[in-house]
Amino acid sequence: MYFYQDTQFGERMITLMAALVLVLQIAMVGQRWLVTNIRVFAAQSFLLACIANTIAYYNHAPHIYIAAALTFLVKVVFVPILMERLVAKIDIRQEIEPLINIPISILIAGGLTLVGYVVAESFYHPKEGISPATLGHNTLAVAISLFLIGFFMMINRRKALTQVLALLSLENGLFLAAISLTYGMPLIVELGVFFDLLVATMVLGILVYRIRETFDSMDVSQLRRLRG
Amino acid sequence: MSKMLLASIFQLILLLCISPLISGIIKTLKARLQMRRGPGIFQPYRDLNKLLRKQMVIPETASWIFAAAPIMVFATSVLVGLLVPMITAEAPLSLFGGVLAVVYLLGLGRFFLALGGLDAGSSFGGLGSSREMTISALAEPAMMLAIFTVALSASSTNLSEVVRGAIGQSWRFLVPSQMLAFAALFIVLIAETGRIPVDNPATHLELTMIHEAMILEYSGPYLALIEWGAAVKQLILMTLLINIFYPFGLSLEWNAASLAIGCGSYLLKLVILSVLIVLVETTNAKMRLFRVPELLAVAFVLGALALISTFLF
Repeated sequence: MYFYQDTQFGERMITLMAALVLVLQIAMVGQRWLVTNIRVFAAQSFLLACIANTIAYYNHAPHIYIAAALTFLVKVVFVPILMERLVAKIDIRQEIEPLINIPISILIAGGLTLVGYVVAESFYHPKEGISPATLGHNTLAVAISLFLIGFFMMINRRKALTQVLALLSLENGLFLAAISLTYGMPLIVELGVFFDLLVATMVLGILVYRIRETFDSMDVSQLRRLRG
Repeated sequence: MSKMLLASIFQLILLLCISPLISGIIKTLKARLQMRRGPGIFQPYRDLNKLLRKQMVIPETASWIFAAAPIMVFATSVLVGLLVPMITAEAPLSLFGGVLAVVYLLGLGRFFLALGGLDAGSSFGGLGSSREMTISALAEPAMMLAIFTVALSASSTNLSEVVRGAIGQSWRFLVPSQMLAFAALFIVLIAETGRIPVDNPATHLELTMIHEAMILEYSGPYLALIEWGAAVKQLILMTLLINIFYPFGLSLEWNAASLAIGCGSYLLKLVILSVLIVLVETTNAKMRLFRVPELLAVAFVLGALALISTFLF
């Protein structure tokens, strides 16, 4: 038996990658540049795909492999390329202007992580010991934190494109929760979610382009002019 | 008792001898990476030697604080150096204080350095002091959080206990809380030693300088003491980082073989960390002063996450 077949090793790798996912989420809150933000999102999704792969390996569950492959294709390759093209096409100023300044945003993100941990603690029972079936259960806290920070990012940002990015990272949190607690929903649901995401990104991309064409800005706070 | 004295003297000599070398290695590596020839790695020794023999110019407005500051900076740095395990797991003066003593003795040295900067009465010194205090006020909480994370897993704030606890667990540095704490402490190291995203150690007259602005009025032996103290402080912070998180090769007993292994692995780890610092310094541009709090907020949150994840994972 090799060391990588030991469940304990898998557990360690998953916690490590989950912690990195969380760090990347906070890096997204603290990052000023749009293109870097997109790349951080791609890196985060890549780590998620790795987590899914690890769980699939230890549980011998082929359908999770498919979910992992789909995550890789859609969120690591397709969506980032699409968004970077959009950034290049609409020629926007590349700086993200959050409503709350960055140091305080980062601290709020840290606080939200704490909330995530407190919420998840009631679900977590470490006494069961480590087996392939409980692998990754302790990442629920990370998943909830991702979700909360994603929400915060959506509220905190003005530009439509950055809000799309926040929505995607929020979805990453949901994916992590699903994969670590239930070993993936049925494949058909998973496929539906990915298709949904893809269409949403494309539609939002077109919408962002239109907003920019009509208002000469992506600032959603200007959308109230629609009334008149 | 005599063993403790011997260990203290040994570590003192090591501390004073190696610290300029590490500064020299970092400078040379940086120059080579930027396609410059650069000074040799022994240049800091020559600088110190030259400064120690020069005459001093002391501003007329200066009080006794101006003279006390370099001595305090140097003395606190060296004292802290004896509290930190370097090549043996047992630090010579570990009975006198743990992590908190380390942090606050460094704080005392910094306080006197800032006072010395103010005392000379030049406007540059005041600017430098105020900036240094701003940055250290932000870096200190991050450092404390990171160190508490490590202290928690060893259930002691005594550095020798922490290191001894860490030696047993070989894959410990892969645990998320340790990695996060390492990252936080690394950012603090960059900020405290005045390295590039925060301060530029290579400039002498620039409006954005921090450390150099404070010591602008110092010359001769006083300047040598401050520079040497700064080098020792840098060595201490690097030692904390490598020995707490990667305690491979630290010798547990007192014999020639294990001491030699300890020395060798210590130097190797120092060089690796220096390369890391050089890479960070070369690939980054200096931040605007008002962006520095962002970097330190990141360090703070990393430290907080490290502390939280100790309880969860």
